[in-house]
Amino acid sequence: MNVFDEVKKALHKVNPGLNDEKMVSGALLKDDLDIDSLDLVEVAMTLEDVFSLTLQEDEVDNIKTVGDIVSLIEARLKVRSA
Amino acid sequence: MLDRVVVTGYGAVTPLGLNAEDTWRNLIAGVSGVGYISLFDTTDFKVKIGAEVKDFNPIDYIDPTTARHTDRFAQFALAASLQAIQSAGLKIDESNRYDAGVLVGSGVGGLDSVAKQLETLSARGPTRVSPYLVPMMIADAASAQVSIKTGIRGPNFSLISACATGTDVIGIAYKMIKWGEVKMMVVGGADAAVTPIGLAGFAQAGALSRNSEPQKASRPFDKERDGFVVGEGGAALILESLDCARSRGANILAEVVGYGATSDAYHVTAPLESGEAAARAIELALAEVDRDEVGYINAHGTSTPLNDASETRAIKKAFGDKAYKIPVSSIKSMLGHMMGAAGTIEAITCCQVINKGIIPPTINLEHPDPVCDLDYVPNAARAGDVRIALSNSFGFGGHNSVIAIARYDAQ
Repeated sequence: MNVFDEVKKALHKVNPGLNDEKMVSGALLKDDLDIDSLDLVEVAMTLEDVFSLTLQEDEVDNIKTVGDIVSLIEARLKVRSA
Repeated sequence: MLDRVVVTGYGAVTPLGLNAEDTWRNLIAGVSGVGYISLFDTTDFKVKIGAEVKDFNPIDYIDPTTARHTDRFAQFALAASLQAIQSAGLKIDESNRYDAGVLVGSGVGGLDSVAKQLETLSARGPTRVSPYLVPMMIADAASAQVSIKTGIRGPNFSLISACATGTDVIGIAYKMIKWGEVKMMVVGGADAAVTPIGLAGFAQAGALSRNSEPQKASRPFDKERDGFVVGEGGAALILESLDCARSRGANILAEVVGYGATSDAYHVTAPLESGEAAARAIELALAEVDRDEVGYINAHGTSTPLNDASETRAIKKAFGDKAYKIPVSSIKSMLGHMMGAAGTIEAITCCQVINKGIIPPTINLEHPDPVCDLDYVPNAARAGDVRIALSNSFGFGGHNSVIAIARYDAQ
């Protein structure tokens, strides 16, 4: 499963108006994608289900960009496979 | 001097149409909006009928993201409010956003959102409950969403008085404008209680008709009435001070001339049989007008055995022998009970009656009941020159709310 693709899918689910070009790694969730704190909770819930993992609240709170989400998931998957 | 308060626009989403004009056309044609429920499977339910809003698409009014994060009741409120603002020719911008307020109420709020998330809580645990649950379920969500969507920054709150909500919002906004606290208000009510938990709850309370013929089930004032029909929808009015309406050249549709509110202090579901407190609410609503000018009463008329009898007593107590000369009709015979939206759609209907000279009927009135012996405009609309119309609303909890609406007279 491609992490970046799954993150984009999760973002698109909470904000159906988002197009692919906007969802780049450096995009700021709030300013560029109109993803607020409630949306981010739902994105995190979706990704937890997709990747069968549990994210901590402080980890989610620190997310600012699309890339932050991807890095967080990839780091957690790496720990699990190690 | 106190301001006069006028109606300059309205909008509605009802079981008889996706706007106020279509709803009116169906009302005066005596069309029933009741049918078998299609929103969910009623196999296990004793009651299988309701008055659903058909073909409503929230995307016609709001963006898909807002639609995902709002309960159906708030979507109805948004649709009705945006229609009302448009019909009033009102433009909200930097110059007037603090002069306008929003007061949109709901009887039960986001019932379906709560029910669905309770299922999630049971099945998958607390960490899977939606972060949007609270903003979707709270009863002030409708008012909040209208403010967000329109940019209105004056007073914004909700009120709840069960099935009297849609009338109390008008009464309270009327007082606020009259006393100069705000220049204009978007007022309304919305509910979406045609849900499994809503239907089950009202049925278990014994409030709903068990009639198996949907279009015959809501039969206010008829001897064979046996309960109300759960309906849904939203309705909204624009109220503003006469000064404000004149200064922006608004088309004035009617004037609000009175509001009365009392409580039965008796029982949470049954009305006070004598109708005493309801009669007092009618008298309060007429305190500043000549009651001989009342030419129409839009009844609460739910089709429950108790309401229709006690409401009839209340009208007779307030008007004496003159009660027999006033046409009284219940549009719930056609719309079902739109709950928190009922009072507002009924106020809109009063404006239409005053302006169009037609009185909508009470349909399904086939078997006269000796305790309901007024002129209920049975089964067919009729012409009527009405200068002042009353709208009665009563709610679980013993709320009695009445507003008086008059033809606008520039003098």
